[in-house]
Amino acid sequence: MKNQNVLVIGSGVAGMEASLILADAGMKVHLVEKDSLIGGQTIKFEEVYPNMECATCMLAPKQQEVLQHENITLYLLSQVKKTEGSAGEFKVQIGKKARYVSLINCIGCGACYDPCPVSLDNEFEQGMSQKKAIAVACPGALPNVPAIDADNCLRLNGKKKGCNACEQACGFGAIDFTEKDETINLEVGAIIVATGFDQFDVSGLAQFGYGKHPNVYTAMEFERLYAQNGPTEGKLTLREERPIKSAGIIHCIGRKEKGYCSGVCCMYSMKFAHFIKDKAPEAEIHEFHTDLCIPGKSHQRFYEELSKKIDFIRYEDVEVKGNNGNLEIIYTHSNGKRDSIKSDMVILSPAMIPSKGTKDLAKVLGISQDSMGFFSTQDQNLSPIDSEKEGIFIIGCAEGPKDIPDSVSQAEAAAGRILSLLQ
Amino acid sequence: MNKKIGVYVCECGPNIPERIDIDKVIEELSSMGEVKTVKRYSLLCSNDGKKFLKEDIEKEELTHVVVAACSPKEHENTFMKVCEEAGMNPYLFQMVNIREQCAWMIPDKEEATSKAIKYIKAGVHRVLFHDPLKKKELEINVDVLVIGGGISGIEASLSLAGPNRKIHLVEKTDSLGGMAGKLSQILPHQGSKIKLVKEKIEQVENNENIHVYTSSDVKEVRGFLGNFEAVVKSNQENKEGIEEEIKVGAVVLATGFEMFDLKENPVYGYGEIENVVSALEFEEMIHSEKIELKNGKKPKSVALVHCAGRKEKGYCSKVCCLYTLKFAHYLKDNLPDVDVKELYMDLCLPHKQDQSYFDQAKEKGVEFIRMDEVEKIKKSGDKIEVEYRNNDKADKVSVDMVVIAPAMVPSQDTSHLAELLNLPLDKSGFFKELHEMLDPVATPMEGVYITGCALGPRNIPESMTQSHATSGKILSSLIPGRKVKPEVKVSEIKEDLCTGCQTCLSVCFYGAISYDPFKGVSVVNEAICRGCGSCVGSCPSGAIRSKHFTYYQLYQEVMEALR
Amino acid sequence: MEKKFKPNIVGFLCNWCSYAGADLAGSSKTDVDSSLSVIRVMCSSRVNSNLVLSALLWGSDGVLVAGCHPGDCHYEQGNYYARRRFALLKKIAEVLNLEPDRIQLSWISASEGKRYAEVVNKFAEDISKLGPNPLTSNPKV
Repeated sequence: MKNQNVLVIGSGVAGMEASLILADAGMKVHLVEKDSLIGGQTIKFEEVYPNMECATCMLAPKQQEVLQHENITLYLLSQVKKTEGSAGEFKVQIGKKARYVSLINCIGCGACYDPCPVSLDNEFEQGMSQKKAIAVACPGALPNVPAIDADNCLRLNGKKKGCNACEQACGFGAIDFTEKDETINLEVGAIIVATGFDQFDVSGLAQFGYGKHPNVYTAMEFERLYAQNGPTEGKLTLREERPIKSAGIIHCIGRKEKGYCSGVCCMYSMKFAHFIKDKAPEAEIHEFHTDLCIPGKSHQRFYEELSKKIDFIRYEDVEVKGNNGNLEIIYTHSNGKRDSIKSDMVILSPAMIPSKGTKDLAKVLGISQDSMGFFSTQDQNLSPIDSEKEGIFIIGCAEGPKDIPDSVSQAEAAAGRILSLLQ
Repeated sequence: MNKKIGVYVCECGPNIPERIDIDKVIEELSSMGEVKTVKRYSLLCSNDGKKFLKEDIEKEELTHVVVAACSPKEHENTFMKVCEEAGMNPYLFQMVNIREQCAWMIPDKEEATSKAIKYIKAGVHRVLFHDPLKKKELEINVDVLVIGGGISGIEASLSLAGPNRKIHLVEKTDSLGGMAGKLSQILPHQGSKIKLVKEKIEQVENNENIHVYTSSDVKEVRGFLGNFEAVVKSNQENKEGIEEEIKVGAVVLATGFEMFDLKENPVYGYGEIENVVSALEFEEMIHSEKIELKNGKKPKSVALVHCAGRKEKGYCSKVCCLYTLKFAHYLKDNLPDVDVKELYMDLCLPHKQDQSYFDQAKEKGVEFIRMDEVEKIKKSGDKIEVEYRNNDKADKVSVDMVVIAPAMVPSQDTSHLAELLNLPLDKSGFFKELHEMLDPVATPMEGVYITGCALGPRNIPESMTQSHATSGKILSSLIPGRKVKPEVKVSEIKEDLCTGCQTCLSVCFYGAISYDPFKGVSVVNEAICRGCGSCVGSCPSGAIRSKHFTYYQLYQEVMEALR
Repeated sequence: MEKKFKPNIVGFLCNWCSYAGADLAGSSKTDVDSSLSVIRVMCSSRVNSNLVLSALLWGSDGVLVAGCHPGDCHYEQGNYYARRRFALLKKIAEVLNLEPDRIQLSWISASEGKRYAEVVNKFAEDISKLGPNPLTSNPKV
């Protein structure tokens, strides 16, 4: 493979690691990210198991390295639109949406946020708070430069063509309404797909009452709730701002429907118990699980320590009912007995599903999805990162549910495979 | 050296002048004797700003530069580069944070201004104590030593070998293949047999860039990334005791695993009761295509018991649920009417394709029985009874044959190699990775990597992926012709002050300090030191100095703060 | 009415977590008491007793050392050494007839901008209540 350029799609943990290894080796990396910030899903977590390490602190040096590396060209608000060719000579077309804010001139002072008259739901915060039409996704987002949501910006969507509140507030001339969407053509030798995962949509499962009862949360919502830079700055209360006296965490949501175990939920559900104990030490916590999938070296110990402080219930089936704002978890224990527990808050741990754009990207790359919707790989048993096409690698959760260490291993492996071909 | 300091105050657009009286800052700083020039600029990190800075350094013939602007975490490297381009030593530079930690957090303009002046003066005093540090370049060897000839070691060797990179693959037994070599079918999802390991071994043997040492041990490893020296001792009949010294740039540990000794727990009846076999023995039966009881008859019922050793060892071994499913499928496919019961604690099926394999087994009529734990396996006539508890109720199954899936434990050599290479082990005795989340195949010793089950239980594809990961890390850092540039802001021990107490050695996480028994002092290996300063902080004699964070440099900042 | 004593405090912040946390406090435009002068070190374990005691002996009214939360240290274990050293330093402070509360060790992560402000503001207030350093022997350079 003579072409020293590599395309990496997705800037989560896996995408960043693959990019850095290749860039350090002297390859020219083109890192394409559909969002306005880098870091993927992991930066939404306050802490990660099993050591309860601060996720943003852990990733910040990597993010900075990616932003400053001379061999990495970052394309934000971008997606791959077309590909053709084969290993060693892929021709790729990238569609880059306008950010309307200059990455070079903006210094991240945030003076433009307040003056903006438009507020909308913040997707990063799972809709639990609002942000302005010009904003960063969250405090500490990298790069620390806002983006303008063209659909909601009054000037860009035509509703108030003269509005320039943000432009006026900016002391650096960083806002440019004339910026246009761009198309960029590249020739690369290899492609690494690291598009990550999304959360299974629990609203389709009526038995859990999500969306109906306000204090039923999904895992991602709870992660943001606990986060210091989240919508409540880490304060854990119920939606009516009452303190939490009891919580039920239900594993395996969507497992039957999707037909696979997502491998990480048992551990992060136990992490949630730690979060609650941290902010509400007297709270009574119940974890409802089927099989405990805790294969890591220190995971069992994590579980054993926690089981001294909270209750674990092995269930056959479970549902959540609510009356007058009080939630009740009704379940059949694995011993056959039916019982119920009242709970202030219920957290649902849903399956990991392929990220939203997987179907379209699979078409663009000319590769297929497996029966579960993840990108197909050649041989699960020998080379789980090789897609059906030579030169295209699938890493991280784009390949299938996995935890951070496994995503990083796959990222390094893909880089290793590419560098090995060049030797 | 005739010291000439230039102080540059960046306005960061309107950000800083709004909150700090820059004229007053310039006035105060200009009155300092050592300062040759104090200038202000609107946006110093812009291309124009950097150009201005470079030209001004050259024009004023400055030897030291202080930039007062945003956080050093943003632009310290940027301005150090400019200094270097202007012909200055980039370490005679200090960045002072007057934005995030001054202008932006102190609302009162007067207070913010006096704070800024204090900080910048501290920067000036400090920079005068900076040393003109020089980045070193070290020649490196790009060859690799791989310890362990199982599938992980084999895969790493194949991935790393190249015309400019020799691989030394050392295996303690007389043949390559490891544990995987004993498996008949690789993993559950293939219907046909794959001679994966045999093919891979052939590839290794035919690769002229891989030198294989069978029946050999690694006796010693010294050095650091790019410059290791290892001694390989042969235990082969005709070469007994012969030692060879090899020079490599990196080391990959692929020493694999062993199985938990079932005899440790008499509950399993292993070694006592006939027809109670371990998973590995069952693999051998599959391999020879003879599933038979000791009396030569075929079993009519088989119990596959999971999780043996899980409680004793304290971890789930991850792969057993899958390979027992493989056993179940094999039995159903090859023995007509056989009754297969799987006794398990938790079904660990974490990969996307695992559940369907389980569902298929269920469809074939395999019975899955959940248990809290096995109480006792005992003989009952010509049957074997497996007594277990489930939800505190006692129960049992009666079968012809029992196959037990034991926990995976670290291989015997792990602790010895850990000592040899100064590597930490985790609570279960496996090698400990550098960072559990972000660096799963590296160790605190830069240049030493681990792959496969030496790190902990995992299946073959995962081990092979990790071998490629180590290859990624090595191919990215050991490039033929490229020199290694170690960290410059490292620790340094003053021989005449060192008492040889070795406290510093015990606190160094990276093994960068060694003890010289002839001189009776400790020595820092600057190629490995990461510059954290733990040794500096713990030295009782004050013999260690942290270059670029020396006592005198930090003290200038303290003194100015207290003025 | 007596003017409130404004202390002069020195803070040693580790580069990876607490210094970044302080930066975040600034970028979030949080007000932080200006009594504290920040000195950056690579790791809290660099801060030996020498540095802390020198600062106190030369007149600092208080010394704050901030590092990463246990388990998050960029160099894996540095902050554990800082923690142990601190227990000893508190004892030494007593011997010198200094209130041990003049020395404080805090864990502040890179995402805890608000917490940085809270820690520093509280520390400044506590020190101002304790009054000036009883050992003041400021060299007046």
